[in-house]
Parts: sequence; C-alpha cells; structure tokens
Amino acid sequence: MRSRDGNSSCSLAICSVILLNSLVLNASEYLISYRYIVKDMTLHNESLQISHAMKPCQGKIHNSIELPLKNDDTINDIVKKNPHEFIDFIHKVGLHLKHQESTKNAQNSFTTILTLKTTCFKVDFNENFAKISPLK
Amino acid sequence: MKYSLVLLALFSASTMMAADVVKDTQIQTTKVAETKVAETKVTVMCPANECKKVDDLEDKIVSLESKLGQVTQKAQEQEKVLEKNRKMLISVIGQGVAPMNTSSPAQAYALAKRAAVADAYRLVAEKVKGVRVEGQDVIKNMMVKRSTVRTSVSAMVKNANVVETTFKEGLCEVEMEILLAHSQFAQ
Repeated sequence: MRSRDGNSSCSLAICSVILLNSLVLNASEYLISYRYIVKDMTLHNESLQISHAMKPCQGKIHNSIELPLKNDDTINDIVKKNPHEFIDFIHKVGLHLKHQESTKNAQNSFTTILTLKTTCFKVDFNENFAKISPLK
Repeated sequence: MKYSLVLLALFSASTMMAADVVKDTQIQTTKVAETKVAETKVTVMCPANECKKVDDLEDKIVSLESKLGQVTQKAQEQEKVLEKNRKMLISVIGQGVAPMNTSSPAQAYALAKRAAVADAYRLVAEKVKGVRVEGQDVIKNMMVKRSTVRTSVSAMVKNANVVETTFKEGLCEVEMEILLAHSQFAQ
C-alpha cells in the first residue's frame, strides 16, 4: 500500500544520501603522533603533533572516542579542551615502548620512551561532538 | 706268576682309568670355576667398603634426580602459559615522581601520573615479553674497576587499563591491568 506522499522508501533513500553526504563532507583526516620520555621516574619531555593529512589515508576504522564539540572548534581546540581523555585514548590505541636501564657501580638510571608513531585519524565533526577514530 | 701278571695288568689298567677320570673331573671343576668367575665378575668390582660408598652415591644421585624432576615439574606448573581460547590478566603497579619545578600541585600530580603510567607500561612489557640483560665487569690488577649492568625492553602495548591511581607525598602509583588473549599473539 502506498502512502499519500508517493513512494516513501524513495524519499527516505534520498534523505539518507543527503545526510551521509553532509557527514562525509564534515569528516576529515589528521595525522597524529605522540611521544613522551620518562627519565629516572620523572617526566622529561612530552609532545603531541597534529596535522592535516595531505592525501587520503587508507585503512579501517578501529575503536573511537567521542569528545564534546562547540561551533567552530578545530581538532586542536578539542584536544586542548579534553587533554586527559584524548591522551588516555591514545594510550588505548597503543604505544611503542622502549626502556633502557643501566646500573654503573651500583648507581641506577633509566629512560623510558613511549611513542605513538604517526597515525592517521579520521575525525567526524557532528553538531555536538566529534568522533575521532584511528585508521589502521 | 701268571696271576701276578694279570693283577699287574688289571692294576695298571685301573690306574690309567682312574687318571682319566681325575683329568675329566679336573676339567669339569675348572670349567665350573671359570663360569662362576664369569658370573661374579659383574658384582665384584671393588672392596667391600668402597662398594658401599658407590652404592650410597648412586642412591644420592637417584634422590637428587627425583628432586630435580619435582622442582622442574613445580616450575612448569607455576609458569603461566597462555593457552588457546583462554585469557590472562596481568596486573602491575607503576610508580612516578613529580618534577621539582612544578607550578601547581595539580601539574605535579599530572606529571607524576604520566611517569607512573610509563613505568606501568614498562612492567607490563617486562612481564609479557621479557628483559634483555647485558653485564660487563672491568677488572684491573685483580680489582673490579667498573661494573655495569644494562637492561632493555622494547614492546608495543595497547588496551591496558588504569585501575587505580594514588598520589601520596609526591609519589604517584598507578595500578594497571591488561587482558591478554592467545589470538593477539597468533602469527
């Protein structure tokens, strides 16, 4: 049985295409790298690099995080507003660990380096939140 | 005279027969003796006291071997092996200290926590992957000049969860857990 406005499935399909297109248009890809050094139990250096991807990334979306977003927030603003959540998420994504310890004449010292190698992240900017997910 | 000659002949014949019998018996006795010697060669190896010592040593070796077997069995039981279709939970506590020149207690806490997380990651990697250890001693004129031990770990850690964080007197402790599955290591 047809509805009054004609073929409802057709209109639904058109709406979904428009919606998907709008979402796709608002999605962008970023290259993110993160690294910090701990020396003798004290944090020495921490750096987080974020840049636009110059060419489309390949890979599948893995676990993602949703962070609150205001009108014209960029990815940098989002990360600045929610640093702990984002850093915890990066830890979940996986960090490469390199630990070196040396004991010279019974005196111990160590250096631990945790690194997220440059990874492509897909960021979907929605109305109230941004969905950040790594591409692997 | 005739009888005497016959008697002589009989006597000589009997002596001859007796000599043969004696030879036969001697041969038999020597054979038996040889076989007995051959049989007892294995058992008689040493004087009585020393044999006891050897027996005691053998007993000790057997007992030590059995003890070694028990110890290796216990070690194998204690060593956790990640079997198929099973998961293993590893829990560690990492420690970190805040730097001296922090602008606020909150910053000190955040920095100490970051260091503690790194320490916990290192402990997880050490437990799962193991540690590479290198040692070097420099000895000059019969004296140790320099003793160096270097350890290193390199690993990729992901999906580790921070369970609890405590910050007391400048020391931050982070309890971290990671759930390992056999499929994660399948090649």
